[in-house]
Amino acid sequence: MSILIRNITKKYDNSTALNDVSLKIQDGAFIAILGPSGCGKTTLLRVIGGFVEPTTGSVQIGEEVCSSQTVHIPVEKRDLGMVFQSFALWPHMTVREHIEFPLDSRKNKLLSRREKKEAVDKSISCTGLEHLADRFPHELSGGQRQRVALARAIVSKPSLLLMDEPLSALDAELRVDMRKEIQDIHRLLGTTIIYVTHDQGEALAMADHVVIMKDGKIEQIGTPEEIYLYPNTEFVATFVSKCNMVKGIWNNDLFFVDNSEAVYSGEKIGRHFKERSLYPVRPEEFILSTDGKGMKGVVVNKQYSGREVHYSVKCGKDIFLVYDRMNVNSQINDEVVLIKEGK
Amino acid sequence: MQKRHIHKKALELLFYLTIILIFIMPIVSLVRMSFKLDNGYGLANYIELLQNPRAIQAIKNTVFISVGAAVISLVIGTAMAILVAYTNLKRKRFMEILVLAPFVIPSYIITLSWSRFTMTEGFLNRSLRLLALPAIDIYTLPGIVFILGICNAPLVYLITVNMLRKIPRDMEWAAKVSGYDTRETMLKINLKLVSPALVSGGILAFLAALDNFSVPAFLGISSGIPVLSTYIYEKAISFGPNSFHMAAALSIILAVIALSGTVLQSKLLTKNMGLESIKEDYSIRIHLPPKIRIYTEWGCISILTFINIAPIIVMIASSFLKTYGAKFRVENLSLENFKFVFTNRGVLQSIGNSILLAFITCFVCILIGTAVAYLKVRRNTKSVMLLESGASLTYAIPGIVLSLSMIFYWTMVPNVYGTIKILLIAYVTRYLILQIKGSTTAILAVDPALEEAAGASGIGRLKKWRKILAPLLLKQTLSSSFLIFVSALTEVTLSSMLSAAGTKTIGLTIFNLQQAGNYNLSMAMSATTVALLFFGYLGFFLLEKWQAINAAEKKRAFGFLYKSRGHAKNIKNCERSSYEHFDQEYN
Repeated sequence: MSILIRNITKKYDNSTALNDVSLKIQDGAFIAILGPSGCGKTTLLRVIGGFVEPTTGSVQIGEEVCSSQTVHIPVEKRDLGMVFQSFALWPHMTVREHIEFPLDSRKNKLLSRREKKEAVDKSISCTGLEHLADRFPHELSGGQRQRVALARAIVSKPSLLLMDEPLSALDAELRVDMRKEIQDIHRLLGTTIIYVTHDQGEALAMADHVVIMKDGKIEQIGTPEEIYLYPNTEFVATFVSKCNMVKGIWNNDLFFVDNSEAVYSGEKIGRHFKERSLYPVRPEEFILSTDGKGMKGVVVNKQYSGREVHYSVKCGKDIFLVYDRMNVNSQINDEVVLIKEGK
Repeated sequence: MQKRHIHKKALELLFYLTIILIFIMPIVSLVRMSFKLDNGYGLANYIELLQNPRAIQAIKNTVFISVGAAVISLVIGTAMAILVAYTNLKRKRFMEILVLAPFVIPSYIITLSWSRFTMTEGFLNRSLRLLALPAIDIYTLPGIVFILGICNAPLVYLITVNMLRKIPRDMEWAAKVSGYDTRETMLKINLKLVSPALVSGGILAFLAALDNFSVPAFLGISSGIPVLSTYIYEKAISFGPNSFHMAAALSIILAVIALSGTVLQSKLLTKNMGLESIKEDYSIRIHLPPKIRIYTEWGCISILTFINIAPIIVMIASSFLKTYGAKFRVENLSLENFKFVFTNRGVLQSIGNSILLAFITCFVCILIGTAVAYLKVRRNTKSVMLLESGASLTYAIPGIVLSLSMIFYWTMVPNVYGTIKILLIAYVTRYLILQIKGSTTAILAVDPALEEAAGASGIGRLKKWRKILAPLLLKQTLSSSFLIFVSALTEVTLSSMLSAAGTKTIGLTIFNLQQAGNYNLSMAMSATTVALLFFGYLGFFLLEKWQAINAAEKKRAFGFLYKSRGHAKNIKNCERSSYEHFDQEYN
């Protein structure tokens, strides 16, 4: 279902969690809301879900206005499913009881017993929980618990699925596996998913659109590629792709790097950077060299990490991050030249 | 090395011996006494008891009163816990004070105040008569049930309100997303999750009613309603033939009921839902509409004030009257009653005794309790665990049973029974477990690495305790010893059996005054005790506040310490993190 968020502001006693946020989400989209903790992303999700009433602004789900100054449809009457970071499983219920629970509510009283059983069985099988149906939450591993939470959220086939950092409580390897499962479920059900996370990798890998938030405001909305390759602001550039901010002078689409002979071309660099005389360079765009036209600097730190080596290079007062994959094998205190690949 | 080993073994043996002599033997001697006959041992005492209709009546009354009182405590405690923990009522702090008042005021003072409150010619019963309603008489079985019910409601409240706050909001929200409204969610999720706390609180209230001696003694003895605790008391002080053996057998019956309750309760505690390490969430979960909110709020405040505060105020006010039950007029006012309290040598001595006993008990308990807790937590010493079980036993059995076993046992040692020493021994035996538990919590909160760091810095053991452990343990340790202090100060059950002429306590003096018909004097004495408690709590509150200010300053300096501790908890329980996260987003 499509969602229209208009000028949402949420104020708490002495702080503003959301500041005039507007967002349009297409039916069937997979949207990731990405931001550091305290940016208001969870509050936005809770406003959409109806757990939190906005101070001003409105939320429209499908054709229906769900939250506004005059209307507040309670959570239980909205057609949605939700997966929580803490899993939020009930310790006194078995896996099967969890998944049956949404279907036994008033919302689904029109379903026949057979339809309910089919829905539960389907939900159990597509999350691979067949052999665990009679277990209690404390008898399950973290990944299994998250599958139960997922099965519970999708069993009533909601047209909107909210996910609040669903993978943060899992360990790294499991997290990557679960990404695939969530993608599969999205493909299978075709529901709109709003996925809140602070993990850039997760957002870029799974979503078809990413919303970057900071201090209660939206910084940028775009496809993962747009966000990664063409950030609009310094915050997005550093938060998503760890960009280095190189100082210099813009002349139309050419950038003359300070204290250096290097010139970068930048047709697609955002206006924000041009106004501030900056050029965002991702760490993997830099090449470490011994000569050539580039910024001269000294290696101050080196960290080996398998696929690539992370160097910190000090040029003047600035320290730039470089991911090297070509085994240039520089050492600390080596004098190097930083060259941006592809001009 | 070998010599040191032998030394250690001998020390441990001595320790075991002490535990057995102090905590186990008194109870053994009670059990033995209950089986003892004129010629040898046998079941004759029990058989005789079970053929005695008054004993049967006492057992029946005890069970009826304890169950009934537990039900009343459950209803009041749970209702208030839900309102305070979840709703948008205002003045919650005030309500909490009203709910907890009976926890602070000793039950015999509450009984006394209700006795005055429901006096035949008192305001309450006259008003009821005008409305053609039946008068209230608390010198009855339902009266005892009611008083015990309100006395123990705070137990249920305290255990339930914490559990309710610990139920994660996510669990509620997950139910709402599933299509259930607030009422259904409360019934299907929250109430189910809090049920172990409810059962546990109910059993605690039952045990407290079972243990209580003063309420049935004040209300039941004169009106001929026997319960086990008062019946044991009557038997023990009657010096009739065989009466000590009867009392012992009755005590064993009472102790068995109490211990099975305790075992049941601890079984339930270990079976709970693993919510204990979750942070309490104070946010509002049930939004009552404005009108209902105001009615509920003032309804609760009025009822609680009527039940828990009004009788006390009436009692204090009427302790300024010349004669019991006189009208509140200027010409009837006098300070005679207080003059008696503050000049009578016996009364003053009892106040002195109680204060002295409370202080020494606290001091001894802090020393032993903290040492025991330290050995238990850090050294995992086995002999210490035995001590803990022993101390738990002497706390779990009803006070009247403990005092009887104290009599049997300590009369064998010369120069103890009849002096203040027997009271001190009884108090320490009774309350030590509270300090062991409090100190254990305190020590568990101190990271062993802090001690290792002290060791690594080359600090000796004594200095380590003085400079590192004592400041860190102080607050938690003191708050449990404050509980011991108040309990010992206002204690009546043990002293009613163990006091002699010069060693009476506050509680016993009030009891004696009341039993002798000196109602005005007993009320004046109660008013004095309430004032004493009030200033005690005020002092403790101010001390805590002062400590909190100090701690805030320290926290600024040593913030990293607190943070790292929070972090450790976080790893233990990932479920918590979402709340911290939520908080972050809020703030």
